Amino acid sequence: MDIVRLVIDYVSALVLPAIIVGFPLYGMMRKVRVYEEFVEGAKEGFNVAVMIIPYLIAILFAIGMFRASGALEFVTSGLRPILDVIGIPAEVLPMGIIRPLTGSGSAAIVLDMIGVYGEDSILVKMAATMFGSTETTFYVIAVYFGAVNIRKTRHAVPAGLIADIFAMLLAVYVVLILFG
Amino acid sequence: MLNYIWGGLIVVSLLFALVSDIRDFTLDTYANGRPLPVTVSVPDAYDAEARLQRATVEIAAQDYLAHFNVEPGAPLAYSAELIQSQQGRQLRFAEGISVPEPLATICNMHSRDDDCRATLAGTPTSGAFAATLAFSPVRWVKMNAIAGAALDFAETAVTIALGLIGGLALWMGLLKIAEASGILYSLIRVTQPLLRPLFPEVPRDHPALGMIVLNLTANMLGLGNAATPLGIKAMQELQTLNPVPDTATNPMVMLLAMNTASVQLVPPVLLVAIMGLHVNELFFSILITTALSLVVAIAAAKLLGRLKTYRQTNPEAA
Repeated sequence: MDIVRLVIDYVSALVLPAIIVGFPLYGMMRKVRVYEEFVEGAKEGFNVAVMIIPYLIAILFAIGMFRASGALEFVTSGLRPILDVIGIPAEVLPMGIIRPLTGSGSAAIVLDMIGVYGEDSILVKMAATMFGSTETTFYVIAVYFGAVNIRKTRHAVPAGLIADIFAMLLAVYVVLILFG
Repeated sequence: MLNYIWGGLIVVSLLFALVSDIRDFTLDTYANGRPLPVTVSVPDAYDAEARLQRATVEIAAQDYLAHFNVEPGAPLAYSAELIQSQQGRQLRFAEGISVPEPLATICNMHSRDDDCRATLAGTPTSGAFAATLAFSPVRWVKMNAIAGAALDFAETAVTIALGLIGGLALWMGLLKIAEASGILYSLIRVTQPLLRPLFPEVPRDHPALGMIVLNLTANMLGLGNAATPLGIKAMQELQTLNPVPDTATNPMVMLLAMNTASVQLVPPVLLVAIMGLHVNELFFSILITTALSLVVAIAAAKLLGRLKTYRQTNPEAA
């Protein structure tokens, strides 16, 4: 299992340089005017970034307000009885709620929990597994759909959230089985 | 759906801020308008003419408790400055001191640049003397907090978006070369037997498939900086197939669901930064969770797409 880890580490370290050098190199071998093509493509970068701005502002400011309002603590205490029934510790709930909303916010929660419970505690392992196994759903929606001006997202949000909820629950059970 | 969630976040924030502020108001959390008894000592000889003098201020624990109804925890002594002006005497706490709640909130509310001050009532003399401090009243703490957060995050959003420019431009440039040189089509031919079942609406050999492969690969390898530009490029390619430009198509939703579930073989950089070597223990728990949640994301995207509401809004069906 260490060897698997090692191989993945090597691949992930080498794939970026391989692509950044490999694409132009292969292009040159195929007689493509690589510099001209690169500049032509790169032009788009700025426009896309600017296009994303309104979408990102809309999502992030609403999330920022929600975090600042203290609603999170209230939701956590409200859901506690339901969590007890399905065997989820209430301490990891803030992570579950914040994770799809903000990446930096959930990183702060992991840091917080390390401070309170210690690095080796099972609660931190659960929170870190949640962090590592899912993405910031609303950020991804804002950026990916914003870049092509998609406003009607159809079932993207429910599908993303279903996967998130499932991942949060699974993270708890998997950590319990592996470390409990 | 996004409309409801977005509106919900804003309305819920407002409601909670309102409830919290009204509770502070009824409980008088910040002891508005009541002077706080303190002991001020002036180390140098007291000078009635001096505009600014060094001083220390002490708050007795029982006074703090009686005033704010909160145990201060530690003894409260701070260095400060005694300011005399035509408006009267003020006490300004030294910069960078850490005071307990709720005094900290009171200081934060009215301070510009760490300037926490209060009106001083009492008769100053050399040495220690008893006095009272009156802070400006503190109201609507949470209301101000959510408004502040909204502005802060709007700014953050711009910073994030502009920060993407470099990476976006680099990847868009490289992908243009990949397209022109035909390397992308080799990639598509190899991977499309796997991908086409997930994206049946995308025609065979379409460049979007290549971008999707690159995006998912970058995600798996934890290359977040590369994954985002590649995902955006994939979206742009999918958009060229979209007859209704403001509505997401099924392949777009699928790509998004797969990205939010994010198969990650390598833990995200941020998590490694926080946890250090402890992340290694979590390799398998993350792998199992992320792999199964990907399956759920794909199933959810497929099955939800068959619901009547989403079938009717499908731009490709119209």
